[in-house]
Amino acid sequence: MNSIRALCLEMPMTERAEIQMELPKSRLSFLETLRVGSSGLRTRRLRSALSALGITIGIAALISVLGLSASGSADLIKELDALGTNLLTIEAGQGFGAGPVSLPDDAPAMIRRISPVYEVATVSKVPGGVYRNDLIADGRTRGITIVASGLNLINAQQGSLKAGVFLSQVTSQFPAVVLGAVAAERLGIRDLSIGHQLWLGERWFTVIGILNPLLLAADLDRAAIIGYGAAEKFLDHDVDADVIYVRAFPEHILDVRSVMAATVNPESPEEVQVSRASDVLEARVAATSTFTNLFVGLGAVALLVGGIGIANVMVIAVIERRNEIGLRRALGATRFHIATQFLSESLLLSGIGGVAGILMGILVTAIYAISQDWSLIIPGLAVVGGMVSSVLIGGVAGFYPALRAANMSPTEALRTG
Amino acid sequence: MSSLASDSPYAVELNQVSKIYPGTPPVEALSEVSISVPRGELLGIVGASGSGKSTLLHLVGTLTRPTAGSVFIDGLDTSGLSDGALSGIRSRNVGFVFQDFFLLPGVTATENVGNGLLYSGTPERERKRRAEAMLERVGLSHRLAHLPNEMSGGEQQRVAIARALVHDPSFILADEPTGNLDSQNTASLMELMVSLNHDGATVILITHDPEVAEMCARQITLKDGRIEFDSSTVPGNAHD
Ligand SMILES: Nc1ncnc2c1ncn2[C@@H]1O[C@H](COP(=O)(O)OP(=O)(O)OP(=O)(O)O)[C@@H](O)[C@H]1O
Ligand SMILES: [Mg+2]
Repeated sequence: MNSIRALCLEMPMTERAEIQMELPKSRLSFLETLRVGSSGLRTRRLRSALSALGITIGIAALISVLGLSASGSADLIKELDALGTNLLTIEAGQGFGAGPVSLPDDAPAMIRRISPVYEVATVSKVPGGVYRNDLIADGRTRGITIVASGLNLINAQQGSLKAGVFLSQVTSQFPAVVLGAVAAERLGIRDLSIGHQLWLGERWFTVIGILNPLLLAADLDRAAIIGYGAAEKFLDHDVDADVIYVRAFPEHILDVRSVMAATVNPESPEEVQVSRASDVLEARVAATSTFTNLFVGLGAVALLVGGIGIANVMVIAVIERRNEIGLRRALGATRFHIATQFLSESLLLSGIGGVAGILMGILVTAIYAISQDWSLIIPGLAVVGGMVSSVLIGGVAGFYPALRAANMSPTEALRTG
Repeated sequence: MSSLASDSPYAVELNQVSKIYPGTPPVEALSEVSISVPRGELLGIVGASGSGKSTLLHLVGTLTRPTAGSVFIDGLDTSGLSDGALSGIRSRNVGFVFQDFFLLPGVTATENVGNGLLYSGTPERERKRRAEAMLERVGLSHRLAHLPNEMSGGEQQRVAIARALVHDPSFILADEPTGNLDSQNTASLMELMVSLNHDGATVILITHDPEVAEMCARQITLKDGRIEFDSSTVPGNAHD
């Protein structure tokens, strides 16, 4: 600056007049621009709050939908991972002819020959009901069935015990019973602190264990499980496998599944029904995500409507505050200053709306997840995406009004009436 | 005082300035008007409605450009300057006062006055300090934190004058500043104007009120976009 001045003094007058064009510049720092914008919003609090509300609702909807679906399926997916997706259930299907069909006697042995198979557990359905005493009339079975099973059933199901123990080599020969979670509940047996006896068809059995729910075999939750030895000895039951649970190495599970029916019953494979237990859980996860997509779509629509609301309010503001625009131009604001003022107002509106929406969405997710006993998950991507999209919306919504304000002629803007 | 080319004795010079508003038919609001306003003058402009007074003021204040002729501010020819450069000149060298005050609602008197310094990049603390000093100068030290709607019209116009003066401009332009005031407020506002002028401020003022015009050292009457009468050219009343 000084050097330019010095240079000027050494020049002839005419040139000096041209170089002294060191004109004053209008200046407004970024911070001051934000301050001017926020003051514009503060003097119109109610209107600002209402116009930010659309964005808040949209973002809150997005965050809570994504948060709830993530929280809701997180537990499901975790269970799925723990239980494994490599469990096949083999049952007799419906035959073409009359009468029920059953699995061939050598089915378990045949299955064991499939090399990726590492666990085969069988279950045999035993007719008869389960009663708390021997006086209740036949028929009131409370939906509880008796099944006989091998010792490895709990392994095959990755099941766990709520109380007591599972059947052992020894207890499977005795009148001992392990109850599924639902069966225990229906019978009113919560723990084994006192000995419980149950009347199974023809004699008393002692309850030695209660299972936790088995997510891959809900049927067994309603069963009273006894050993094969006990079934033969005390209930006079002929034990052939009605249901076979098979675990195979996960990488070969599809191959195993495809050969299963023919292996079990080479003559009529269509009479064998093979299902993958985890398919049901996976379908549930898929179902939640379908719903999620639907609601995310709705949230996006709400966001769009919120953005249009802000654009609308900004267009009205530019018309209404014409005199303010003229005044600011008279005070030395450039077109750019006017544009950035209105743009910053719109960005602040949508930004504040977005932050409020994120907080509200997290709150809704937290309250619901806690009430459902889910583990709370707030997807970071949804939060970042919510913030980015609200700022983007503010920018787009404010762009046209800002341009319009900037291009207003100062003398027109100063006109009254 | 911020000067652009301080060797000029004139705050404002209009050289053969015309302003034609396009339209059918086009309106010639000003036609070849030449006026020189020396520093420290109190100039009153009168004329019938539509005679071009506001147009003249907007041209002097660089809010609009002449169709022909040139406007010099502090000796600087403003023709050909960019919109940004003109804004810069307004932020330092021009102070506006309007008939309708144009104070920002919901903003205190101090902040409204401080806005006169906003676009010259003055930090907030200094804006506040100078705004308070200027409010005191216009006799409103008891209204610093008041909002516009808590003040009388006369007080609001004093706030507007403080805003026009706070950045120490080369001149202030007032378009019917007493147009919305009663006679008592008009008198005290003009007293303020005269006193500010005594302290060195250059003032160009539009009025419909003959009494207000009387208080101005120099008067110009416009008629149909031309100067009909200029008291400085009347013999025995001359300036320079
Ligand atoms: N933006 C514009 N477009 C077209 N014509 C205009 C415009 N502004 C002013 N005019 C015309 O120019 C002429 C001068 O207007 P100006 O506002 O300068 O008058 P004025 O002397 O200030 O009047 P008043 O005392 O009523 O304020 C008028 O005929 C007006 O209609
Ligand atoms: Mg006018």
